[in-house]
Amino acid sequence: MNCYYCGCRLSEHDFCTGCGADVSVYKKIMYLSNYHYNDGLEKASVRDLTGAVRSLRQSLKFNKNNIEARNLLGLVYFEMGEVAPALSEWVISKNLRPNKNIADDYINMIQANASRLETINQTNKKFNQALSYCQQDSLDLAIIQLKKVLSLNPRFVKAHQLLALLYINDEEWEKARKELRKCYQIDRSNTITLRYLKEVDSVFEAEETQKSGGKKRNISEESVKYQSGNETIIQPVGGKEKGGFAALLQIGLGIIIGIAAVWFLILPSRVQAERTKVNEELKKVSEQSDAKSATIDDLNQQVSTLTTQVETMQTQMDSYEGVDGTLSIMDKMIQAIQAYMTAPDDAVAIEEYLDAIEQEVQIEETSESFQAMYEQLRNEIGPKLATQYYDIGYEDYMAQRFAEAIPSLEKVVQYNSENGYALYYLGNCYKEVGEIEKAKEIYRRVIAEIPNSERQRKSQQFLDELESME
Amino acid sequence: MINFEEELKKFHPSLEVEDVEEAIYNQDLTDMADLLIKMVKESEPEEE
Repeated sequence: MNCYYCGCRLSEHDFCTGCGADVSVYKKIMYLSNYHYNDGLEKASVRDLTGAVRSLRQSLKFNKNNIEARNLLGLVYFEMGEVAPALSEWVISKNLRPNKNIADDYINMIQANASRLETINQTNKKFNQALSYCQQDSLDLAIIQLKKVLSLNPRFVKAHQLLALLYINDEEWEKARKELRKCYQIDRSNTITLRYLKEVDSVFEAEETQKSGGKKRNISEESVKYQSGNETIIQPVGGKEKGGFAALLQIGLGIIIGIAAVWFLILPSRVQAERTKVNEELKKVSEQSDAKSATIDDLNQQVSTLTTQVETMQTQMDSYEGVDGTLSIMDKMIQAIQAYMTAPDDAVAIEEYLDAIEQEVQIEETSESFQAMYEQLRNEIGPKLATQYYDIGYEDYMAQRFAEAIPSLEKVVQYNSENGYALYYLGNCYKEVGEIEKAKEIYRRVIAEIPNSERQRKSQQFLDELESME
Repeated sequence: MINFEEELKKFHPSLEVEDVEEAIYNQDLTDMADLLIKMVKESEPEEE
């Protein structure tokens, strides 16, 4: 602390040791300034921002050069969302002490971000606009504008308060209380906030009293309260009066409720259980039915198989049976034997019977005795047949009836393969009728089977001719 | 009971950034110390 007169540093005395001026009052003024600064600092630390503003302004009224008080005042304004007054204080502080001043940092912090500064400016303008709307009685517009302000600067206490006032005016108490609570969280001792909050709380209290009062009255109407020794006994009123019709009504109600419980709770479960039982029975019967159906299908299949077998056997039996019911092949065999016994030289007749047997049945499928009889007859008539057929075939050959000669000569070759002439003539017949391949086959047999003969030489010649023709 | 109209009158327009300079110039920075010095200076000629 320096002397206001000569600038000399002051001591503990009430006069300046440099110029002798009386500095007692000056010292008291400085002490008062510092006292209010300390008070403001304490209040700010417990968020009593309004109180802090009051103390700090008081401090600055005593000593405008109290830089700490001015800087703190700026900070408190900033915390309350009032950026322009904060800037104002910091700028003055900077002017009073250009060097080593923390206000310099605060100013730079705000000015460094141009968009933030613009936002702050817009916030203030919108608040002023909202206030203007309020004065013009456009309260809805004011509310909208204030909501915008608070979205940009949620710590703007004045905006919260104005919005709360508008809600109070609209009797939207809950919203008002919400806004005021936000104000309270920022600034604990703002008179306007506390007054509005008291008003809103009183409304809520009145409502709660009204509700609880109604309940209490109901309780007091329904009960009798009296003291028995040290105990307070609350006895319901009219408990004993219930009887007669009321009792019957209650019994009736009980019965109805009981029936309803049976109907809605017990009966459905019983019905469900019965249904399950029936379903299980149905399932069992269905399974048995399926098994029986499968058995019937198997039996039907067996029947159809057996029927087919019976039909096949019947067909076979029919083929074996003759007109009069005897087996036709046996009949023909007997006829062949009879013909052999009566006219053994008539080989052609016997052969007709044997051929008829061969047409009806496969000889290999007949019994051994039948086959032996058949073979014996064939062997007996074979040479005779060969002779007879050779005569017929030779006669046709010589008469140049080659086509007619072929079957007879074929028979000769069949029954007597050693007859070289028959084979040679057969080849010639085939050549003459134009069956070249047959003719060539026969000629080859002649060449192989009858060596060193004229027939062999001629057969070779004819074969060469036929092959050269191709 | 809060009177809306009366309460509204207690709200004043917020200081805008453009107006800060003017506000600073117009601010009366006279403090108690200034008044004391002025009083002391005014009393000195009378004493002389």
